[in-house]
Amino acid sequence: MANLATKVCGVTMDPPLVLASGILGVSAASMARVVRCGAGAVTMKSCSLEPRAGHKNPCVLPFEHGMLNAVGLSNPGVAGASKVIAEFRTLSRAPLIASIFAGSVQEFGRVAERIAEARPDIIEVNVSCPNVHSEFGAPFGGDFDATAAITRAVKDAAGAIPVAVKLTLQCPSIGRMAKVCEDSGADAITAINTVGPGMLLDLATRRPILSNGVGGLSGGAIFPLALRAVFEVRRHTGLPIIATGGIATGDQAAQMILAGASVVGIGTGVYTRGVTVFEEVARELGDWVDSTPERSLEALTGAAHG
Amino acid sequence: MDDRMRTWPLLEVVEHNPGLKSFYFETDSEVQPGQFIMLWLPGVDEKPFSVSDVDDGRLEVTVKAVGPFTRKLMECRPGERLGLRGPFGRPFAPAEGPPPLLVGGGCGVAPLRFLHRHLERRGLSSTFLVGVRTAADLMFREEYAGGLAMVVTDDGSLGERRLLPDKVGELLANQTYGTLCAAGPEVVLSTLKKLAESRGIPSELSYERHMKCAVGLCGECCLEDNGLRLCVEGPVLRHPLPR
Repeated sequence: MANLATKVCGVTMDPPLVLASGILGVSAASMARVVRCGAGAVTMKSCSLEPRAGHKNPCVLPFEHGMLNAVGLSNPGVAGASKVIAEFRTLSRAPLIASIFAGSVQEFGRVAERIAEARPDIIEVNVSCPNVHSEFGAPFGGDFDATAAITRAVKDAAGAIPVAVKLTLQCPSIGRMAKVCEDSGADAITAINTVGPGMLLDLATRRPILSNGVGGLSGGAIFPLALRAVFEVRRHTGLPIIATGGIATGDQAAQMILAGASVVGIGTGVYTRGVTVFEEVARELGDWVDSTPERSLEALTGAAHG
Repeated sequence: MDDRMRTWPLLEVVEHNPGLKSFYFETDSEVQPGQFIMLWLPGVDEKPFSVSDVDDGRLEVTVKAVGPFTRKLMECRPGERLGLRGPFGRPFAPAEGPPPLLVGGGCGVAPLRFLHRHLERRGLSSTFLVGVRTAADLMFREEYAGGLAMVVTDDGSLGERRLLPDKVGELLANQTYGTLCAAGPEVVLSTLKKLAESRGIPSELSYERHMKCAVGLCGECCLEDNGLRLCVEGPVLRHPLPR
């Protein structure tokens, strides 16, 4: 089978399949299990400076075409997250991406500085969570200047650790936003975050089911949106792309590679195909690579732009 | 009922003891003993509960008032609509061969009651032991005081005055069982697991953790040592454990 090992910002991921942020990324044991189930790297759930409780249940709702969630960025704070990183290192040699978020540019810098001390392989900057609107206002990721400032602040604080900025589709142009991140020092782009927020109502009570009322949309429903976003990011920048958004099959992963992704993140796919989705997608992706004239993942990356 | 949230009318409420009630809903889905459902009180919260029986299209959930959510639930009346999704998780799967020993401790009586009745309805025999601190803590006291199960209490207020693990040890020493199926406090489960191991029989143990998504995504219910998700690979774990 084709060699699928891929280097992103100097970090080797084999296979190039990453556990997406927000899924099973709360404990070292659960992330290590995801690696045993075939993931080439894991992303932790986003952490903030201080611990957060998040929203009440219901906070995750499967529906006919995907998933709606408003977990509310619950996390143990950067100190707790740093302990999880240290524990993960004792259990697994797979690369770990630490996701961070904050309420201001300065705070992003402080969280980045603290998490950098725990030596994650990559720091992912979540400027695009749609589920904490009432607390933080519209995501920074919709604003070029704010995203640029956050990217610079995190880069300054991260030292030698590569920085990936996780973008939202909901900005004037995700391609231009990626270019802004590149110009501000970003080393990679993660695209995309959940879309929305969206809503689901219960007919009998006539109320939203999510305790937060609204939540981010993920899963199969957003795959074509995510694919288009990755395609645009690739057109505007030369940065490596971690593609996330509704990927659950080798076919979808292959489309992301052709659109320009270096590695592919899987989140809701853990629900639709189970936790062994990683080894299944790796096999399917490998079969696809073998079936192409190039027989090389690297040669196929971005081939849709040829 | 499925993974998606829907509200269902509460058909009936039966009070067993103060602060201990069974709630009945109509159900159209296949639920296995040991599985759980997520119960939503609109505007309040959503929590996981074991199913204590499914019979004739009626799903029964038996709840003890222990916190704000369960106290609020105690106020619900027939006709009110509550949200249900599920069933979730791996059910009890006793091995074929000699009958299993079913052990319910405290609130762990609920899923074992379902398993006991489920086996009975299929003409399969089992030995059922329940253990609580005191008689007032026993769910379905009227059924078990009548001899449907062996009862032990810490204080001797009902049945034999014994600690649950001691009684299990005695039963395992005197008879061969195919599987030990149990639910209850984790400290009790860990003793029962060792007892089953020492007798060379498999154990099927139901564990509890805080659950948020119930569909294997959020990671809240993962076990600390091996990362297994209790909402998917559990709540009933069999040894040897899956990957």
